[in-house]
Formats: sequence, C-alpha cells, structure tokens
Amino acid sequence: MCKPEKKTETQKHCRLTRRCEHVQEENFSPDDFDLFRTAGMSCIQQGHSAHVLSVVIDERNKSIVHCMGWNLLGPLVKVLLKKEEKNFHHCHAIFCHLLEVCSPKELLVGLLEQVEEADPDAVAETITLLLTPLQTVLLRLGKRKSSTLGMALSTVLNQVSKLPVPQSREQEEDDVFGLCRCCTALSHFIRPFVEEIKENIQERRFSRDDELRVEIMKFCMRSLSEPLLDVQLKDPDTLETSPLRDFATDILVTLCSIGESLLDLLSHNLMRKRDIPGFLEEEVRYPKESLASLAHLLFVHHIAMDMFPSVLSPVFVLQCNMDYVDLLLSRTEESRLQKGLELYEKTLVRVEDCSLPCDLLDLKAFLNVPQNMVKVMTLCPVQSVRTKGLSVFQLSIDKFNTEAKYKFFRCMLKTSEHAGVEGFIIKNIKNQIDLALKPGHENDWFLGKHLLPLLRQVLSLPQGAETDLLHNLDRIMESLNLLRYLLIRDKERHNETGIWSELCTVEENFLKPLRTGLNMSRAHYEAELKSTKEKKRKNSAAESKVPTCTVTVGNDTLPNMTPEMQLQVLQSALYMFDLMESVLARIEEIAEAKGET
Amino acid sequence: MTAEEVSNDGQNIPVEGEDITPKKDGGVLKVVKKEGTGTELPMTGDKVFVHYVGTLLDGTQFDSSRDRGEKFSFEIGKGQVIKAWDIGVATMRIGEICQLFCKPEYAYGSAGSPPKIPPNSTLVFQVELFDFHGEDITEDEDGGIIRRIITKGEGYSKPNEGSSVEVHLEGTHEGRVFDDRDLKFEVGDAESFDLPLGVEKALQAMEQGELSLFTIKPKYGFGNAGKPKFNIPPGATLQYKITLTKFEKAKESWEMNSSEKLEQSAIVKEKGTQYFKVGKYKQAVVQYKRIVSWLEHEASLEGEDEEKAKALRLAAHLNLAMCYLKLQEPSSALENCDKALELDANNEKALFRRGEALFVMKEFDQARGDFQRVIQLYPTNKAAKSQVLQCQKHLKEQHEKDKRLYANMFQKFAERDAKKEAEQTKKGSESAMEIEENGAPEQTAA
Repeated sequence: MCKPEKKTETQKHCRLTRRCEHVQEENFSPDDFDLFRTAGMSCIQQGHSAHVLSVVIDERNKSIVHCMGWNLLGPLVKVLLKKEEKNFHHCHAIFCHLLEVCSPKELLVGLLEQVEEADPDAVAETITLLLTPLQTVLLRLGKRKSSTLGMALSTVLNQVSKLPVPQSREQEEDDVFGLCRCCTALSHFIRPFVEEIKENIQERRFSRDDELRVEIMKFCMRSLSEPLLDVQLKDPDTLETSPLRDFATDILVTLCSIGESLLDLLSHNLMRKRDIPGFLEEEVRYPKESLASLAHLLFVHHIAMDMFPSVLSPVFVLQCNMDYVDLLLSRTEESRLQKGLELYEKTLVRVEDCSLPCDLLDLKAFLNVPQNMVKVMTLCPVQSVRTKGLSVFQLSIDKFNTEAKYKFFRCMLKTSEHAGVEGFIIKNIKNQIDLALKPGHENDWFLGKHLLPLLRQVLSLPQGAETDLLHNLDRIMESLNLLRYLLIRDKERHNETGIWSELCTVEENFLKPLRTGLNMSRAHYEAELKSTKEKKRKNSAAESKVPTCTVTVGNDTLPNMTPEMQLQVLQSALYMFDLMESVLARIEEIAEAKGET
Repeated sequence: MTAEEVSNDGQNIPVEGEDITPKKDGGVLKVVKKEGTGTELPMTGDKVFVHYVGTLLDGTQFDSSRDRGEKFSFEIGKGQVIKAWDIGVATMRIGEICQLFCKPEYAYGSAGSPPKIPPNSTLVFQVELFDFHGEDITEDEDGGIIRRIITKGEGYSKPNEGSSVEVHLEGTHEGRVFDDRDLKFEVGDAESFDLPLGVEKALQAMEQGELSLFTIKPKYGFGNAGKPKFNIPPGATLQYKITLTKFEKAKESWEMNSSEKLEQSAIVKEKGTQYFKVGKYKQAVVQYKRIVSWLEHEASLEGEDEEKAKALRLAAHLNLAMCYLKLQEPSSALENCDKALELDANNEKALFRRGEALFVMKEFDQARGDFQRVIQLYPTNKAAKSQVLQCQKHLKEQHEKDKRLYANMFQKFAERDAKKEAEQTKKGSESAMEIEENGAPEQTAA
C-alpha cells in the first residue's frame, strides 16, 4: 500500500508532524490525507510507534486524527497480534486513543475490515482482540447502533464458522483453534446490548420488531446452528467447565431475556397457522436448523430447562420435536444423524409405552422419520450410528399403541424395500402376536380378522418363485419363523390367529413358490459350484490365485475374489438353502399333524 | 441437580380436594383457593392464560411461571398439556385460583419428566386463570375467524385444499338462520356453493367429527357486497355452526408402493385436467402437486415404469407451469419449467412457458432467449416467433428508458462530484459508509 519513499525516516516524521500541526481542518487537501495515512502506516510498520503516538495524542492534531485515524487500525492490529513486539505498548496506547477520538462509524468499518481480512491462522486471536473495541465503539453509537451491531455480529460469526470444532474433551480443553475463546468473547460482547433490551422490556418501551432485539435474536439463532449444531457438548460429568456448554446456555438464556419464549420457539412450526415457503423474514428469524439445535440442547442436554414449562404433555413435545428429528435425520453428516437419533430417543423416552395413537401416523413428520430411519439403519457407513438407529427404531415401535403398531407394520412392509428392515418388522409382528395370545392382552389387531391381511403381506414372496432368495434371506427366514411359531403356538382347534384357515393361501402364495425357488436356486448354485471347482482344478497347475471376478460396492471396488473365496460364497449360499429347507420341512410336519405335535 | 436431591423443608402437602376426573378415579383433586369472577368456563380449543407454581409432594418446587415472569398460555383440551391440566383448567373461571393435585397417571407417569420430575411423581399445582378466548384461526391472526369448539373431533389430520368434505352447516346472522344444509364438496370450491371464504378456512382447521361455532368477520364473510340470496346486508358478521362429518384423507406417499403411486398419479392427473378445463386453476394445482410429491423422490422404479413416472412428472410440471401462468404467479411457473427442463432439456412447452413466465417478470432478454431456442428446435412454432418480436419491442423500450435514466444519473454524478470537490474530500468517507450500510440488508436478502 505504502509507496516506497526514498526519504529518511526522520524526514518522514517531520513531514507528518509538520503537516498535521500546521494545517487547519478546513484546509486539508487530499494530499494531506494520503500523507497522513502512508506516513503513519509506514512509521508503525517500521517500529516508530512512539513518534506516531506523540502525534496522535497531540491536541493540535485532534481534527485530522478524528477523521483519518481509523486508517491506522490495520498496521496497529498487526502489531497488537504479535504480543512480544517491543512496540506493543505504544501501539496499544495509540489504538485505545483512536477508539476514543475517531468517528465511531469509520472505526467500525475499519475494525470489521480487520476481522474480515484476518489471517486464516489468527482468526480467533483477531476476534478476541477486536470484540471489546468493537463493543466500545458500538456503545458510542448510542441509539443508532442496531443495524451496525447486526453487521458486526454477522461478520464475526462468518469468521467463527471457519474455525474447526473441538471433537473430544481434550480438544475442548486445549482449544488450539480458539473456538471456545471466541464463543466466550461473544457472550461478553453481546451482554450490554442484551441488558439494554431487558431494560426496554421492563420499561415497556419495546416492540417485537425493535431493531436491536431483532439483531440479537438473529445472532442467537445463527449461533444455534453455527457453531452449536456442529458441537458435540460434553456432560458436566465428563467435562466440568465447558466453555461451549456455557455458550449454549448463554444463548438460550439470552433468547429468554429478549422476550422469546423457548416453548414458542420450539412449537413454532407446529403452531404456525400458515406455511410460507420462501418467506424471507421467517427463515431469517426462525431457521429450522437453529430450532432443531435448540430442541437438542433442551431435551438431550437439559440446558436452560428451568426456562421451559414442565406442564406440557410428552406427546405434544414429541409432535414439536418430530419436525426437527426429521430435519436432522434427512441429512447425511454423522454429527447430524447422531443428534437426530439422540433427540428422537430422549423425546420418546418421555412417552409411556404403548400410548401413541394411530392418528399421529397421519402427520407428515411421523411418515418421514421412519423412512429416514430406514436410510440411517441401512445406508449410514458408521456402524455405531446404524446400531443406535435400530435401537431407537425399536423404541419408537414400542411407544405406539396396538392399532398404531399394526398400521405402522403394514406401512413399513409396503415401503421399506429392504429385506433386513422387513425381517425386523416381521420379528416385531411375531412378538405382538405372542403378546396378544397371552391372557389379558387379547386385542383386535394381532388376532383374527385384522391380523389376516397383515399375515398375507408377510407370508408371501415378493416376486414369486423368481424371488432372489439370498437377497431376501432376512425377510424369508423371519417369515418362516413366524409361520412355524403360529402353527405351534396356536392349535387348530383354537385358531385364534386364523392361520389354520389361511393355510391354503399360504401354501399357494408362499410355501409352493418358495419350494420351487429353492429347487431352482439350489440347482443353479450347485452347477456354479461344480464349474468353479473344475476351473480351479484346471488353473491350479498354472496360477491358482488369479482373480476371476470383481465386485464393486458403491464406487469402491472390493478386493478381487479369488476362486477360493468364490467357492466359499457358493458353499455358504447352499448352507442357507439347507437352513430354509429344514424350517420348511418342519412347518410341513407341524401342519400335517395339525399343530398337535 | 435432580429433583430428588433437593432437600425439602419438611412441608408436606395434604391430599385433599374434589375429584374432577370424568372416571372418578381420584387422579385429579381440586381445591378452590379463591373464587373466580367470570361466569363462563373455557371451551375446548380456547387459548387460556395462567400463572402457576408446580411442586412435588415433598414441597420441592419444580417449575413456576411466576418466576419466569411470563404467563403461560396454551390451547385447552388438545393434549398440549398433561391430562390433569386439560381437565383441571377447564373447570376454572377467570380470576379463580385453585390447587390441582395430580396423580402420575394424569401427569408424567412412570417416565417422569427429566431432569426435574422423577418417575411416578404426584404433582401439585397452584393455578390462577387470567383470561381465555376463542381460537383465532386466521393466518394473520387478525381476529377475523374465531372458533369455539363444541365437540372435539378425532385425529390430527385436517382437510386441505382439494380434500373432499362432508359437512353440516348452519349460518346465522343476528340470530336469524339464513343457511342450513348438508353439503359435500371439495375444499377450494366453496364459492360455487354460496359459502364465504371464512367457511373454507374454518374447514381446514377442523378435525373429523368436530362440531364448532365460528364467528366470521365481513372480510372473511360476504364482505361489502353482502349476499342478497340469503338476505345478508353488506359488512355483516356471520356465525356458522359447522360439523365436519367426513373428509377424504389423501393417501400419503409412504402408504403406497411404487405401482400404486403411478396408478394414483394417473387418476389425479385426470382430475387436475378436469379442473383446468373449467378454469379452476388453484384446484388443478393441488392435484398436479400431488403427482410431484409422490413421484419426485421415487427411485425404485425401473424400465417401463420409470419412463411412465418420468412422463407423469413432466406433464405435472408443464401443467403446473400453465396453471401458475394463469394464476399470475410467474415465479412458480418458472420454477416448474426449470423442473420440466431437467427431465427433458428440449421440451417445447417447457421452453415456451418459461419464456412466457420470464416475459411477465419483465426479464425480456432471457425470455427472448427461450423463445429463440423454441424456434431453433421447432421451426414451425409461430407463436414463439411473435413472442420474440414482442420481447424485442420491450427490450428496445427498456433500453430507451435506461438510456434516459442513466443519462440523468451521470449528469447528477457529475454535478455532485463538482460540488464535492468544492467541499473538500472530508465527506468522502462518510458517503462510503452510507453505501456500506445500505448494502448490508440487501446482502441478507439475496
């Protein structure tokens, strides 16, 4: 920026001093400004800050410093960030003086420019250094500060969002990248503004659209999604003092202080009378991600629970949270899925077993969440998330009442399109029938006329005899288990489940095609086995480990299969057919004996 | 700190009061501490405003709206609060203070409410009722349609636009019954049955089997025109007592498998076309949108079915674009044309309609681009040719206008610069600041 000048330092100082001292404000020429800026900057950069300080605090230079001083912020901040510099104290003094005397509007622009242009390696340092000055200057603006405050907060948050989020307890304690320090600094930064809003509320000089309030509100909502939605908070038992947990608490307390009720926020989507897609103000004030983060903080971490009413029905809370669970589970990032599952679990745990009514399944979120759960359980690459998904899925089934379970099972069988999930549902159906057959638990849904359509759905092969038996293994084995169970548990003379009157249909739609399918598959695999063995024998002399087939999963090519591996796969397929056949044989036996074995 | 750990001050609350549960199982006991002044009791669905303090049996306070400094409000009888409250607050009059003694079965049961309420807790509430009023069901909450529920309905789903409903309704004006009918129609089509907009809005807030009384302001009633047929003068506030006997719930996406979705889509498409032909574009939109929602994310289709689904989606987007053009909503039309072009990049209708949408949005340059593309691909399309001419005409006009505008602007700039030079540069930095400030909100809007 500064032009290379051939003059000596002393000359420059003299010029700076001379011009400043002797020229009255009205007579400044553009040259004077240029000179002040370049000379001042190069003096600071070259370590002559003591001299600059003397010029700046000189009463006679007041006017030029007032309007030009902010130009020196850049070089000053650079020095202040390198704490060990010998000029630190002088620069600090200049900096403090400028904050007092310069025009606040220009100072703000200057300071925000520094935040924006912060060295990527010194983002946190720059923010923690500049937040207090920014606060001082904003407070100097008095009543006109709202929009500028908004600008400042959004600039700072933009930078904060670039900082890596600590994952482990140790990382949060070490705070190498400074996210924790920034959050703490932000909490301090907004305090006086929040106090001002609180006073306004108390004195009833306040409207919901008060600009200052809206800016703080936007800040809180944004912080909830960035960084807080990315943060995995630690419990007090794991980490006693956690700056991030404090920040989260502070944000929720702030929302309450500025007159936003946490309940209204949480139920915002549910209670909203109209759906306004693309309505800007709505998205800025109530971004769904932020509300999801709020729900997670409240119900998983119990943060700010004191501010939240304890009279709500668990079903209502579930309805509110379902939208957020849906949102979180529709993502693919592990952290989001994890949070979605946690929120769903904690919300379900509050609900009594077997209490959720069937009508809930008419609500959109209650339809979307199970579909997303299926995706999580079957497609998420992280094993622990899949397992957790399965346990939460079971928990959700347990909470439905009998009729809702029935409807849910039917829907899942129709739509999940995944043999593993179908197998899981069929196992659940078996458990429900088992329960219904126990005295005192009889119900209309898992016995008799309602059960039959469900059984027809289960005891069938999706594509008849052509069904890929291995692909559908989980489903078929569970179906066979269920059928065997029914025939043993429910004797023909009782026929409470209706299975005995249904046997012909089952034979036609399930057992017969299954037998055909088994014969065909077995023949196919046996032939394959034989030819592979022969191939192997022929090749063994030459090159036995030559890969013969490639398998790709997704876009990754799995290691090539050697003939040995192929043989193993084929062999285990044949074992599976054996297994199916043995259960099938047992079923035929029981059916023949009319269940009286 | 959990509630259990809080040491109580030994103050135990005596079990007393009148059993107010319908089952008379002693689950909710009520003691009136101060008689209320109101005559009326809250009705189901009313919004009620209360202050309360909640304590456990050992005297530990777990929640207090008074400490939060804000009254708590909720819609009564809708399961938003614990059962004891829906039952208890419904027996209160304005100004009344009472104590509700709630057994776990009417509160949080065996699950409790972490972190403050342990499992199987009996709760004691001191409740004061301040106010209640009927529920305002208008979108703007302008008090234009107020509902008082007489009999609560069932379920959580409500009719939406396009649902077919069976209702009984009784309209009164100043005590005179002017309309008393059993009707079956589709929401969105009420006008053809001499029903005001308010009734349509009311229906969309109702559950199956619900009986409610709606007070409808003229804005949502027959307005300034009145309704001579029913002898309703201009500016009349109406009352409608409506029973929603039945409504057809649209099947949700996940209740259908792929082939059912295809089947339903074809049916719905036909329905939409029927509406379109008679000029009921809004209703047609509802139908076409259903196709999109069913098939948009349907990935499991293959071969012939996949083609079928694609064709249906394309048709739905093209028809939606047409409807939106008719409804003067060009940006929605544009969106649908884009979707259609994703499916078929050279679709004649999609390009033409996008051109039309852009034309309405005064984006003549882009509009011309689309029309020219149509001509290039389908040289026989005469309409596109004349549209290109129209665009060129408008572009020319716009150009002239801009020229005049900018000419003025440059003149103004020149004048201002001259002035500034005279005034010294000091103001320079301030005007830069103004631009920054004005620039900021625009950034958020983008």
